Amino acid sequence: MSQNLLKIKFNNTSRGKIIDKLSKIVFMSATIISASFIFIIAGIILIRGVVPFVTDNLGVGRVSLFHFLTGDVWLIGETFASSLYSIGFIIVSTLFITLLALAISFPVGVLTALFIAKIAPKPIAKILRVVIETLASIPSIVFGLFGAGVILKLVYDFSSLIGYQSKGGNSILSVVIVLALMTIPTITTISEVAIRSVDPAVEQGSLALGASKTQTNFKVVLSSAKSGIFTAAILGIGRSLGEATAVSLVAGGRRSGLSFDLLDTTSTLTTIMLEGLKETTGIDYDIRFSVGLILMMVILLTNILLNAIKRRVGVVHVKE
Amino acid sequence: MKKILSMIVMLFVGASLVACAEKTTTVSTSSFDETKSINVYTRDTTSGTRTGFMEGIGFAEAATNDSVLADGFLIKDNTGILTTIAIDEYGIGYVSLSSVNSSIKGLQFNGVAPTEANVVNDTYALKRPFMWMIRAEGDYPSQNVEDIVKAFVAFLGTTDGGDIINNQGAIALPSTTTWDSIKSNHNICIQDNSSVTVRFGGSDSIQKVAQALTAAFMPKCGNFVAEHDHTGSSDAYKRTNDPAIKDTSVGKDVGFASRNFRGSELDVPEVRRGQLAWDAIVAIVNLNNPLVNVTAEDLKKMYDGTYKTWSEILG
Repeated sequence: MSQNLLKIKFNNTSRGKIIDKLSKIVFMSATIISASFIFIIAGIILIRGVVPFVTDNLGVGRVSLFHFLTGDVWLIGETFASSLYSIGFIIVSTLFITLLALAISFPVGVLTALFIAKIAPKPIAKILRVVIETLASIPSIVFGLFGAGVILKLVYDFSSLIGYQSKGGNSILSVVIVLALMTIPTITTISEVAIRSVDPAVEQGSLALGASKTQTNFKVVLSSAKSGIFTAAILGIGRSLGEATAVSLVAGGRRSGLSFDLLDTTSTLTTIMLEGLKETTGIDYDIRFSVGLILMMVILLTNILLNAIKRRVGVVHVKE
Repeated sequence: MKKILSMIVMLFVGASLVACAEKTTTVSTSSFDETKSINVYTRDTTSGTRTGFMEGIGFAEAATNDSVLADGFLIKDNTGILTTIAIDEYGIGYVSLSSVNSSIKGLQFNGVAPTEANVVNDTYALKRPFMWMIRAEGDYPSQNVEDIVKAFVAFLGTTDGGDIINNQGAIALPSTTTWDSIKSNHNICIQDNSSVTVRFGGSDSIQKVAQALTAAFMPKCGNFVAEHDHTGSSDAYKRTNDPAIKDTSVGKDVGFASRNFRGSELDVPEVRRGQLAWDAIVAIVNLNNPLVNVTAEDLKKMYDGTYKTWSEILG
């Protein structure tokens, strides 16, 4: 009898082990499939993006990598007949725009998060949290429509007020405003979580030592949460760098000349890829993969840089 | 804390009041300043509308080349040009006639207003014809193909075909016949044609219109298979009627051209070629702009940068 029982028990465990093994294989293959897509996508972009630099593009001519990275005109000469593409000025303006957008969205986002997490009364905080989360989930095209319908007009009126002839409001300023609006909710949501997870004991200690509420919020709460807040900034930058649709509606499609003039037109790496994509062929199509490749590199480098900074910021502790 | 809060609230109220003030001032001072520069709006180099426009104003080299355009031009899509011209008092752009609305001003071209009637009666000149051409009788892969092609050409002249053309942004020639009233002349369409392939080609500007037409016509004519390969207007003649090419692998049964036939193309008898539609393009400006009429010369000078300010064209 007891031997029988033992047998059953043994059988059960071996079946359990098989199920364990099976599920391990299933989970692992799911992971491999999803992870391999990153490599497939990156690989295809890499292969297609390199084509314009290594082949003669069906007689049009090889694109010079150096000229591509440093030039000041998107395309010199006739489309489909020239290989003189360059995105040097676009790389710079993309980074410039991202930085400006962050300069607006970061302080606003973090202060909003601080208000929701620490200052606002509970019911108001609850409502605000829903509002911000809804904003964060609004698709970018909606922000783009808002930009094209409202912000362009505001920027146009603003520039005519200061006596500057704007090009229908299509400008760096409009792009920055649209991107700031889009990234504020992202930054707010993540910083708010970081701020809320600060140990209340730290905060109470600060208050007990005689610091005012505002002093505590800025000097203790925010510095304790800075690692999380930095993550929020990284995600915000990611969203700014990658946004195409909304930006292309207000950028104006600049094709040459680097300009830091806030009221002049601009282009970003994403808009130059998007414009004309649906209609074009040959080298003019392939070159967009090259732009995508450069964009991926820009994002990768920015992330590495930001993570390095984050690690340095993260180890600095609050003064006890 | 309350003090800081109330101060923030006050700041917001103040800011919104300033915003209101801005709006009222711009509305009251909206007189047109001729000394301002012209902002040139264009489609990107892949656009068929851009090709049509640039060729229409005698600036064909700008169709696919950004380098020859005036400095500081803006690239927008069709809707983008419409919405920004509605804002930008000093901009000039162009859109296809079908998208002109009351938020902007469509300019007269050589003194003729951009209306559908003027396009159809051939007085409005900033336009190009969409033409078709078919193979000679008995020169098709099979009798079935020939019959389907003839039915298709008949379909082009019906109100059903016209609706499809208009939906694609072109302007169909006026017609009162419906497909239902003439389909009895085309018995081929009653039988099952799912094994018959008809080859369409020619102008790539017409590709979208042509594909919409065949997509609508296939179920009306026994589900024949339409094969589209659009390479350019001159291939409309070459691939259907040029003895050296028409029987090679690139040969077509129906060819389209987005310009009038010319030279040896006109040797093809008139029953085997014709027009299906007009593609009209309109130069547009802001409603505040006093400009009402332009010539091809004016537009070319604005787009190549010869005219830099509005006083040069208005004065």
